[in-house]
Amino acid sequence: MKQAIESIKTIKQSITDMFNLVESQAIKAETALLNCDRDLANEIIYLERKVDAFELIIDRECEKFLALQTPVAVDMRLIISMLKINGNLERIGDFAAGIAQFTLHDQNKGIDPTIAEKLQIRKMFDEAINMLRLCKSALFEENSSMAAKVFAKDDLLDDINREAVPVLADLINNHSANAEQMLYLYSVIRKLERMGDHCNNIAEEIIFYIDAKVMKHRNMEQLKDEVEE
Amino acid sequence: MISISAKNIDFYYGDFHAIKNVSMEIEANSVTAFIGPSGCGKSTFLRLLNRMNDLIDHTRLEGQILINNENIYGKDVQVDELRKRVGMVFQKPNPFPKSIFENVAYGLRVNGVSDKNFIEQKVVESLNSAALWDEVKDKLKKSAFELSGGQQQRLCIARALAVSPSIILMDEPASALDPISTAKIEDLIYDLKKNYTVVIVTHNMQQASRVSDKTAFFYLGELIEYDETQKIFINPSVEATQNYITGRFG
Amino acid sequence: MRLFATVTKRKKVTEWIAFMIFRLLSFSVVGILFTILGFLIIKGISVISWDFLTMAPEEGMTKGGIFPAIVGTMSLVVGSMIVSFPIGVMSGIYINEYAGNSFLVKFIRVMTNNLSGVPSIVFGLFGMALFVNTLGFGDSIIAGSLTLGILVLPVIIRTTEEAMKAIDNSYRTGSLALGATKLQTIRRVLLPIAFPNIITGFILSIGRVSGETAPILFTCVAYFLPKLPSSIYDQVMALPYHLYVISTSGTDIEASRPMAYGTALVLVFIVLIMNLLANFLRRYFGNKVKTN
Repeated sequence: MKQAIESIKTIKQSITDMFNLVESQAIKAETALLNCDRDLANEIIYLERKVDAFELIIDRECEKFLALQTPVAVDMRLIISMLKINGNLERIGDFAAGIAQFTLHDQNKGIDPTIAEKLQIRKMFDEAINMLRLCKSALFEENSSMAAKVFAKDDLLDDINREAVPVLADLINNHSANAEQMLYLYSVIRKLERMGDHCNNIAEEIIFYIDAKVMKHRNMEQLKDEVEE
Repeated sequence: MISISAKNIDFYYGDFHAIKNVSMEIEANSVTAFIGPSGCGKSTFLRLLNRMNDLIDHTRLEGQILINNENIYGKDVQVDELRKRVGMVFQKPNPFPKSIFENVAYGLRVNGVSDKNFIEQKVVESLNSAALWDEVKDKLKKSAFELSGGQQQRLCIARALAVSPSIILMDEPASALDPISTAKIEDLIYDLKKNYTVVIVTHNMQQASRVSDKTAFFYLGELIEYDETQKIFINPSVEATQNYITGRFG
Repeated sequence: MRLFATVTKRKKVTEWIAFMIFRLLSFSVVGILFTILGFLIIKGISVISWDFLTMAPEEGMTKGGIFPAIVGTMSLVVGSMIVSFPIGVMSGIYINEYAGNSFLVKFIRVMTNNLSGVPSIVFGLFGMALFVNTLGFGDSIIAGSLTLGILVLPVIIRTTEEAMKAIDNSYRTGSLALGATKLQTIRRVLLPIAFPNIITGFILSIGRVSGETAPILFTCVAYFLPKLPSSIYDQVMALPYHLYVISTSGTDIEASRPMAYGTALVLVFIVLIMNLLANFLRRYFGNKVKTN
């Protein structure tokens, strides 16, 4: 028992550390992108290796726990959700690094602030980062209703993503912006939307761990009802 | 630091070849688990380490066992001295029909210790190390039989600890106990390894995986695999080991 | 269903009959015991008094008491126990704990059991030949004690051996695993556990010794002694012999008859007390060990 409790503490701490790392990567990615900060972008790309290393460590710790402790009930749910959260966090970190890559390769000297405004890029970043923070707190405090709040935010990101296409098409057709840059920008917007999706997944896993409820593949109404029960 | 070193051990019960050419080294302050099906030789091998097999007639041992670099089957070895340094706890708790206090003090008394204060101090210390003190501190004079099975087993552990061994052998210590007592014993083993070398025979594989640093898999008298517990339970090298721990044995 | 009903009824009737027979037989055994006791009590209670128990016989055994016989029996009990108890217990321990299982040991065990089957009068003859004549002790307490001691030796050896054998081996292994020697294990763990059973054997032997007539016939008793014995080389009177003599010879058999019954009563009483004591002690000490 003692050994199991210690192992669980270690795993939870590792996941928290990874949350923090990925969060800071996302925040830096926003600054690097909007300020065209190449040095910051390089920093993000360098730290991406640390994110990958974290994923391997947490995978191994979970593997070890499964093999040695043969957990059941809440312990089992914890390990399964930790494994999946681990994978989702690594993807989010990947996307942050991808956005940093764009900053490095962008030939133009950054993005026109009005265009950024039109596309609501800052809003997307903020929402995604908020979702990440909500997940982190929900896990730390073991609060499933907090995790449920993430689902609504994901809708927002989906909406912005959808709205971006006509705006970008418009900008390209009117030659008011560089087509190449706009295409790259669309890729950034897609990445942010995917980040939201992964945060959504993380929230589902947290609810599975805490309440043993499976949130996957349900619609919004069902989700709201389930969690409020 | 190597605590126990066995080299090319062959052991016979009459004509029956019970242990076949087993060699292993056990490090100090670690927990090693012996697993394997019934009759595979794990308990027999364990009993070689404190010469309890000497009590059985018509047995023969070949090979060498060193404990702290001393050949325990050497001509000049005093068996009772050896058994003070290598303690043993058995499957069925076997406290003596004496008081709790006298049970723990037994080993000291047969060692010639008569200093009352020293004995008292050792008894308290041992009961603490066995995580039993709080439960018995008010009834040290009561009979050991008034304790539950799990408590009796911890009493036997305290009794073994009282003579300050460096190695503790446990032969299926929790198999006669309920799950809560078993968990307490496992926690105890985890604490004991700071100061003692523990070797535990168990037929419960999950117990071996929870509790030990290294695991040895015995089958039909042979040592099939001996490695870090993590390695054995995540990716064993020998297929027979994997078959056993996944329950795919015939 | 019908078939089963008749079979069941038959089974029940058979069982009832069987148990009635067992009950009758058991009661008849108890009945015999009570009849004997009752007989003795009715015939002998009239002579039982403080004087009877503390005075020497007078007027040719028709009056007085049986005090010297009581003293004699007691001294023989003490003597024979001193002879047989230590040897018997140590032998029992040796056979069970130290000796292996060789042919020799098996032979010893068989011979010991055979010894207990030897008729007690043969013991008497043996005792006379060895102790009274060859060793020259003459008719004496010491000759009687040695003879009676050998008589009950097999009983004590066997009870000790059984008592030790009954002890669960886990106590031995537990003690040895702590670094105790075999001797320490026996002294500190096994003997205390075996104690109740050994004591039971001891007390049953006392009962046996009190009642044996044949061995003491040849080795130490006398019909009438004016004084109480003052050394182990003296003769003694004893209850069983006294009973025999005043019932069959003596000056006035009819007049001493009540004394005979009184003596019998005292003797039976002693043996009964010993048996009850043995039972009580076994149960009392047995509980301390068996609560596991």
